Amino acid sequence: MNRQVENPIIEIHDLSVAYERKPVLWDVDLSLPEGQLIGIIGPNGAGKSTLLKAIMGLLPLNSGYIQINGKPLEEMRHKISYVPQRESVDWDFPTSVYEVVMMGRYGQLGLFKRPKKADKDIVMDSLRKVGMEEFKDRQISQLSGGQQQRVFLARALAQQADIYFMDEPFAGVDAATEKAIIKLLGEMSAQNKTVIVVHHDLQSVAKYFDWIILLNMRLVASGPINEAFTPELLQETYGGKLTLLTEISDLIQKHRFPNRE
Amino acid sequence: MSDFYIILTGTLVAIACGILGCFLILRKMAMVGDAISHAILPGIVMAFLWSGSRDSVTMLLGAGTLGVLTTIIIEFLHKKGQLQTDASIGVTFTWLFALGVILISAFTGQVDLDQECVLYGEIAYVPLDTIILSSGRDIGPKALYLIGSVLIFVILFVSIGFKQLEITSFDPEYAVALGISATLWNYLLMAFVSFTTVASFESVGAILVVAFLIAPAATAYLISKKLKTMILLTCLIGFISAILGYYLAVALNASIAGAMATVCGLIFAIVFTYIRIMSKKVTKVTNLESAKA
Repeated sequence: MNRQVENPIIEIHDLSVAYERKPVLWDVDLSLPEGQLIGIIGPNGAGKSTLLKAIMGLLPLNSGYIQINGKPLEEMRHKISYVPQRESVDWDFPTSVYEVVMMGRYGQLGLFKRPKKADKDIVMDSLRKVGMEEFKDRQISQLSGGQQQRVFLARALAQQADIYFMDEPFAGVDAATEKAIIKLLGEMSAQNKTVIVVHHDLQSVAKYFDWIILLNMRLVASGPINEAFTPELLQETYGGKLTLLTEISDLIQKHRFPNRE
Repeated sequence: MSDFYIILTGTLVAIACGILGCFLILRKMAMVGDAISHAILPGIVMAFLWSGSRDSVTMLLGAGTLGVLTTIIIEFLHKKGQLQTDASIGVTFTWLFALGVILISAFTGQVDLDQECVLYGEIAYVPLDTIILSSGRDIGPKALYLIGSVLIFVILFVSIGFKQLEITSFDPEYAVALGISATLWNYLLMAFVSFTTVASFESVGAILVVAFLIAPAATAYLISKKLKTMILLTCLIGFISAILGYYLAVALNASIAGAMATVCGLIFAIVFTYIRIMSKKVTKVTNLESAKA
């Protein structure tokens, strides 16, 4: 299933991406609604991160094109924010929490401008939102995994964008951080921001997202959670992986009788 | 006066190389600095053969071109050729350096441009080659003006592009997502490494250039919590190495460039040992505390 939307915030046409001539994404075609929490779901190596990076123009495309709000990416760059995987950087880099979050302002500052009071306020505000205010002067090598993730989130918030791309923000974080992230995602979606999250854990999909993209090299489904999160489509996404299949059937049961306190 | 000129030249080279070296280390490209400092040799020779003069500007252009070319070849072999970074660095710079050696021995036998001078330089001769104005006034060594102006450009480059250099070193992919070209800043940095290397060549030689590019910055990295502190400490360590190195060379009646590089290494060793001892003490204290509790 592939639900197309009117006035999509992101539109992807016939997108194919290959590494070393080996296709990673094949003919992906979809459109996404504004102001929703969108999850990208699929097995390892399904091209989830690749899809995210391709939309942001971080990878060369083999075919297809992408439009953000009906415009090419380059015109919309300042509306887009990115939370990369935590492991993508060296946390021994000599810098503080505050300075990393300030990097979120660099796109707007350009070459010659230095951070002004307004930028500093935005940085402090972003730190407050992720509960990292009192750690602002800490060297980043002295953070826990969850704190690192929050710093990356604060940096993305400091960009004050409309669309947020997050690559596995829940991977390896503590329960407190997970809660903080969820709360933040809720607030962002209430402000009509669009958040697109690469997600690994099937258990929490139905709880977190409004819309999901099921991906396994090809697009399996894209649609509202209640239409796309079905046993048939999940089986199609995860293929014949038996252990996963039983897990999925468990999940579907949970999904039918949601356990909401 | 010649003591002063030698130490000043050494210090200026140390600072120019050190500032760039900080970024090389943070980008895990320390060996690229080494590669560039060798691979620019054919660029220098070709610039010389083409222009027929040892004019500094021509040399800078030749070296700069080769420096950027080296970076491009290394990136190409690594990304498209599926070769590990260290292997692509090794292949590229040995080949280019050897090409330079052949060019020198085959075509420039008659002139004063030899491998020896390129490798070891001779900082002791710096005060001898001075600029004399038409009025007959001696305004100081030529090498000093050359490295001095390169240092000014390096400082301008790093202070204007500090944010961009910082973010493309820390998280290049995020920088690209913000619209800051990681490739452009990488090549700019490498071009500056090439210019600085060649400007320092004549006076201090390739070996001291490599030492100044990496050792002070590596020492500062061990003890810095912020990038700005790291850069300032690197400059300080470079300055100390130049002074101590000079007097060590005088005391031993040995090569000045060699002594300066040795002092760089010694300072690194001292700081490294100090940190190891301190971190052991800290773990002991925490162990004691946890034992008490």
